[in-house]
Amino acid sequence: MHGRVKVKSTAQQEEEKRKEREKKLKAFVSARDAVLRKRSAGEHDEEALQLTQQLLSSNPDFATLWNYRREVLLQLETSREKDEVQKLYESELHFIEACLKVNPKSYGCWHHRSWVNTRLPQPDWTRELGLCDRCLSLDERNFHCWDYRRVVVKESGVSVEQELQFTDRLIGSNFSNYSSWHYRSTLLPQLHPQPAPDSASNTSPSPTASPQIHSHRVCEEQLLKAEREEMISCVYVSRERERVSVAFSKPVHLCDLPPGSVSDISNEHNLTVHWTEKYTHRDCALYTGCAESWCRDSATDQELFRSELSVEKSSVLQAELQSCNQLLELEPQNKWCLLTIILLMRALDPLGHEKETLAHFQTLKEVDPMRSSYYSDLCSKFLIENTILKMEYAEVRVFSLSNKNLTTLCHLDQLLLVTHINLSSNQLLRLPPQFAMLQCLEVLEADDNAIESLEGLYHLPKLEEVSLRNNRILFSKQSKCFIRNPFSAFRASAWFDLVSRSQYSSLINSYRLCRIMEGQQI
Amino acid sequence: MGTQVKDVVIKPEAPNTLLLDKHADYIAAYGSKKDDYEYTLSEYLRMSGIYWGLTVMDLMGQLSRMNREEIIEFIKSCQHDCGGISASTGHDPHLLYTLSAVQILSLYDSINVIDVDKVVDYVKGLQQEDGSFAGDKWGEIDTRFSFCAVATLALLGKLDVINMDKAVGFVLSCMNFDGGFGCRPGSESHAGQIYCCTGFLSITGQLHKVNADLLGWWLCERQLPSGGLNGRPEKLPDVCYSWWVLASLKIIGRIHWIDKAKLRSFILACQDEETGGFADRPGDMVSSLWNCHIQFCICIYILHVISLGLAILYTELIILCGTFLPVLYISIQVDPFHTLFGVAGLSLLGDEQIKPVNPVFCMPEDVLQRIGLQPDLLN
Repeated sequence: MHGRVKVKSTAQQEEEKRKEREKKLKAFVSARDAVLRKRSAGEHDEEALQLTQQLLSSNPDFATLWNYRREVLLQLETSREKDEVQKLYESELHFIEACLKVNPKSYGCWHHRSWVNTRLPQPDWTRELGLCDRCLSLDERNFHCWDYRRVVVKESGVSVEQELQFTDRLIGSNFSNYSSWHYRSTLLPQLHPQPAPDSASNTSPSPTASPQIHSHRVCEEQLLKAEREEMISCVYVSRERERVSVAFSKPVHLCDLPPGSVSDISNEHNLTVHWTEKYTHRDCALYTGCAESWCRDSATDQELFRSELSVEKSSVLQAELQSCNQLLELEPQNKWCLLTIILLMRALDPLGHEKETLAHFQTLKEVDPMRSSYYSDLCSKFLIENTILKMEYAEVRVFSLSNKNLTTLCHLDQLLLVTHINLSSNQLLRLPPQFAMLQCLEVLEADDNAIESLEGLYHLPKLEEVSLRNNRILFSKQSKCFIRNPFSAFRASAWFDLVSRSQYSSLINSYRLCRIMEGQQI
Repeated sequence: MGTQVKDVVIKPEAPNTLLLDKHADYIAAYGSKKDDYEYTLSEYLRMSGIYWGLTVMDLMGQLSRMNREEIIEFIKSCQHDCGGISASTGHDPHLLYTLSAVQILSLYDSINVIDVDKVVDYVKGLQQEDGSFAGDKWGEIDTRFSFCAVATLALLGKLDVINMDKAVGFVLSCMNFDGGFGCRPGSESHAGQIYCCTGFLSITGQLHKVNADLLGWWLCERQLPSGGLNGRPEKLPDVCYSWWVLASLKIIGRIHWIDKAKLRSFILACQDEETGGFADRPGDMVSSLWNCHIQFCICIYILHVISLGLAILYTELIILCGTFLPVLYISIQVDPFHTLFGVAGLSLLGDEQIKPVNPVFCMPEDVLQRIGLQPDLLN
């Protein structure tokens, strides 16, 4: 089905071709019918092998024929001595190899070969490894062959080091070597079962050798390790609201918190939240006379957004950064270089490199415009991470990120304690449901975005002031939009249909602090 | 260090409007000439072929043109004693064709013409100790089959019969350093497998286990300068990846990371204006690979001819035109497989002439609504 070519040619050539196809078709149909007849008759003999051989050589995806062949072979096994069985299956391997020459990408062929090796009294894994070598030298990206090789290696006990050397050879000789790099990514952890921070020098390829892989590995190291563990990010207690809020770093299934009371102003309360599935917990003490309390890990201390760097790894990454910068001078439009530099800078010093990072993102979007949405989202993520760090250094509960071309929101579980948030003059399309994590939020400013609905504003118990001017909040006969919050001054005492502008102005007047409806672009 | 990017070049005359009527005519007529070469040779996947044809017709609002009764009878004749369903009469049952059959019967709201309980038993029986699924009794393991198993059971409302934790565990063990998935643990990431695994994780409610940012990046890097998508790094674009890659991106909430306009142009260029249908790549084009190859061949030939002397140059040039020119005007064969995925891809991109398609099941959304299946997607 893939890569088939329709060649336009003369009428005579068309006719000749048609006649030849008709002949081929007839031959195929009669062979196929003969085989299926034999099988229905329950015949499992040499003739069955011959007939299926004919068909499978040029139709290796005709899976039922491989099945029939296996049935025949199993039947023949029962009447043969061990050495005859060995010969039987060895000649089968010969046949499969011939099929693979015609079609090296047939699932049926490769699976049958694996199956034959389970029936062979004495499999020859060295020969099988040789077959893989030959096959991969013809097409280094043949994943069927790589998968088969992994089976051979496992069965024959070839060492991880040997396989690493094999990938070294291939990578050195062939530019299209993604399959080899992938294989390495599975081999190295077998050599170093513990995460080995200093193996960076072994794993990181030179930026000139394989641009995609280089970025990939750096990206993987940063993004994967920056993937936070599953933990309780924060516990927040409010005496006056009688609320306990728990933020998790990963999605969890909903559970019920046990009933209790923290309203008694004169008492100290000690809370512990146990996350039994992950064997972790967090304590929080609410002292006498205090209206609220919380407990969370410091984002700066915990390196929440990047992996911890040993001195050795730092210097390796620093060296990488230097060579990438040198390459960038030679090729200022090299997107892989730009992306790798950004990721290295994030790993080494996210706040210190912020300005440079933003400039590189701008260049990236110009050099690789097809993926500008990706770069915008990634840049937004990094800016949010930096703002969280800055917020913590300043020891404030105000999150301000306006006029920064933000296209997406993330890490909302880190904003549980935030009281004021300013997201004005960005390119946000929505306040997602996860916005409900901002349980302490009192003031929201998000003017001049492209927000289409108010769904993110539900369930914010302390919200008092909202500004959403110049957005795209849609209103139509169908859309019911409600802001209804019994807990705070920000009240809407009735549901309202956003049907016409005249209805809002009365609403706006009645809610002094509510500047939602002005300037919506429909 | 500019690396040569493997890609195609779309000629300016390539189709740039959607020729839905032609595609409907192509599919309606496909398989009616039962002595067609390609048709007969592809009998081993007939059930899937029918699913591709019917689904694309339904997406185009033309399902009524297909022969419902004949197809239903055909499916009945393909269910074996073990409960599994084969690609065609006389062929052996397999998970791939069991899913296709269940999808077809869902389109036709006729699921009970087969023995549903036996299908469920067949699927359940293929789950292995490690949670993986074999394709059939001969034991080939592949994450494609994990997808086939849960998709089949979900359509039948019977997901609870398998060991879900182990099934999920196996699929997650196939996650790679790049966030993608392969056939088996240790296999290289491939867009087709990624579609199957993200689809699997959607059906089983485990999408939060995907590293959406990392995988989304790998997927959006599939887009080549021509606008088309390939299946993995350094491969040529193919219209079927407009489905595997695009649906995966939709499932993980990152479809906006590719350039939709450029992809749409690529897909439309894969149409065949004469026959209807889509091919894997734009037709009537000379790919950048071909370009170099042909130019090279012609150069060598001309040098050879010149060396033979001008006297025979004229005749040689005639032969040259006769043999090489047809090669220059290569066009690519269409088929129902690429036709479905071209149309489905356009639907995901928001084309309003096509019904909305579900990115997990590759079936019209209205069919899934009727069944009551709305698998989670990340946003």
